[in-house]
Amino acid sequence: MTDRGPRSAAALAQENEALRHRLQEAEDLITAIRTGTIDALAVQAPEGPRIFTLEGADQSYRNLIEQMSEGALLLSQNGTVLYCNACLAGMVKAPLQSMMGVSFHDFVPLDYQEYWLELLSTAWTGKSKGEMPLQATDGHQHPVALALNVLVFNQTQVLAVIVTDVSEQREISAIRARVSEQNTLLERQQETLRTQAQAQRAAEQTAAETSRILEGMPHIAWTASPAGLNTYLNRRWFEYTGHHAQADPAHSFSALIHPDDLPGAAQRWREAIASGEALEIECRIRSATGEFRWMLGRALPSRNEQGEIIQWIGAYTDIHEHKVTQARVAEAQEQLRASNQQLLRINRDLDNFIYTASHDLKAPINNIEGLLSALLSELPAELVKGAAIQPLVGMMQGSVDRFKRTIEHLTEVTRLQKEHEQPQGLIELEPVVRAVMLDLAPLLESSGAQLDVEVQHCAPVSFSEKNLRSVVYNLLSNALKYRHPARPLRVRVRCHATAEYQVLTVQDNGLGLQVAGNAKLFAMFQRFHDHVEGSGIGLYMVKRIMENAGGRVEVESTVGTGATFSVYFRR
Amino acid sequence: MPLPPCILLVDDDQTTNYLNRLLLKRLAVADELLTAQNGLEALQMLQAHHQRPELNEPVLVFLDVKMPVMDGFEFLQAYEQLPAAHKAETVIVMLTTSLHPQDVERMQQLKIAGFLNKPLTKEKVDGVLLQHFQHEMPVE
Repeated sequence: MTDRGPRSAAALAQENEALRHRLQEAEDLITAIRTGTIDALAVQAPEGPRIFTLEGADQSYRNLIEQMSEGALLLSQNGTVLYCNACLAGMVKAPLQSMMGVSFHDFVPLDYQEYWLELLSTAWTGKSKGEMPLQATDGHQHPVALALNVLVFNQTQVLAVIVTDVSEQREISAIRARVSEQNTLLERQQETLRTQAQAQRAAEQTAAETSRILEGMPHIAWTASPAGLNTYLNRRWFEYTGHHAQADPAHSFSALIHPDDLPGAAQRWREAIASGEALEIECRIRSATGEFRWMLGRALPSRNEQGEIIQWIGAYTDIHEHKVTQARVAEAQEQLRASNQQLLRINRDLDNFIYTASHDLKAPINNIEGLLSALLSELPAELVKGAAIQPLVGMMQGSVDRFKRTIEHLTEVTRLQKEHEQPQGLIELEPVVRAVMLDLAPLLESSGAQLDVEVQHCAPVSFSEKNLRSVVYNLLSNALKYRHPARPLRVRVRCHATAEYQVLTVQDNGLGLQVAGNAKLFAMFQRFHDHVEGSGIGLYMVKRIMENAGGRVEVESTVGTGATFSVYFRR
Repeated sequence: MPLPPCILLVDDDQTTNYLNRLLLKRLAVADELLTAQNGLEALQMLQAHHQRPELNEPVLVFLDVKMPVMDGFEFLQAYEQLPAAHKAETVIVMLTTSLHPQDVERMQQLKIAGFLNKPLTKEKVDGVLLQHFQHEMPVE
């Protein structure tokens, strides 16, 4: 227009107005073309109106695209929407007319922008596919599948994009997933059922096996539920009780247990159920003949893999004979204890009697002695010294002395009882024998005895030292006292050991004594020789001491040849 | 200490009392010899003599163990419980025949001057007098 030369302002304004009008028309036309309102344009040309049809604007294609359930759009190189169908506008919830010219980036969520740009750049080299959400104008996102293709449109490259809403596909896959999940569950349940059936078969087998074993047992066998209810009894029970299995299969124990034993047994059973610990009871159960027999009842809980009690398995064993024997033994022991008690009492009474007797006898004999001496001092001296009186006085004094000695010995015996309770120690024989020899030195010397002692190799004995001394003293002094007048006395003291005892022997070549049937030998106040002083108490004491300590004394002798006394100390 | 002016003999056995009196009289160790037949009599006698100054008070008692009414042990118990004002310093010696370990043990725990085995002899009397009255017997 510049070559036309200057014009007037009015002309310019008029021209301007005309151009604006044509621009308006052009814009309207573009809009019409863009929106598909028109398919052809009748353009006024110098040679008359000419009909232009839009290139590719085939009505039927456009309809197809417009009515597609997929979104379709054309993008310019900078991502501006050149065209979009109603479906896509619906997806992003925007009015169709507002879509043209906007940037498609606006509908891509922020965290997918990068993915989108990559998709685009790949697409511009040919084509690309992808999945991502689209963000609608109300903010909701829809998962979509995108297919991008480069098209040449009016000599310009554009990008054709088909947008498929995959929400429904997602739903379908969700349903598919649920179905598959359901199927898996079903599978699993069936598997469980199969396993259970297997377990049940195994359990039934085990039960059958158990029952076969329980039936075969010579004992009464039973099972009970974890709560303690009887679930099974074997044949032996019905044979024993005389009840019929069919008539009374779960027969209660309580009716057949002896009423005296029932509370205890029931209590133990309750405790076992509560604690899950083994049950053991003894009770009497009535048999078919009506006899109550002693039974030992034992039961153990049977547990599953989880440690839960699934049942109790128990048995009753007949212990009647054993129990009755036990009772008899207990009774016998009780009797023995009673008679021991009685013997102890008698012994104590005897001791007390001896004490009392010796005390009561001492007073009068002391008085007799005192009175005798008082009497003698009253009598004229020449009378007392007279031939008629003096032997009488001597005999009286001798009797008094004898009486007093007897009382002394009696007292000694009872003192022995007390010494029985003396503490014991391990005592060497050798020093004791030497000590006694020292005590007996005057007698040893006067008797001219040859003493041969060889006990140093002996093990010590567990004994009261005082008692041991008393035993050795009695045996040695007896040997010295009852020596043979015709030959020099020889005494051998030896010792040896047996499995149970240490044995000390005192052998002499003295008078000897009648051993056969000499129950009296060790009896109290028994004397075999009367030519020497003796109390008849010595051997009795030896016997008492030895027996009190669990040992014994033995004698071997031939009259006129000698005697051997052996004392046995328990090892 | 001078010789005890008065000695009390306590025994239920009259013969024993007679013989002991005889012995003590012959030994001439006391001005007066009293006898009682049991613990109760002895106790009453001791109290009576303590309260009447004109009477000799026994300072030595020979006491038997076994007696009826009140025995030696019971007597000692009762005597111990008397108020100090009611008794003099008295030497009590028990005479016994009992060797029962229980009795011996009991006697050893008593607060007495000593105990002697019966019968009472000149030697035993000498011992008591020497120990408790520092009296030496003249050699006969």
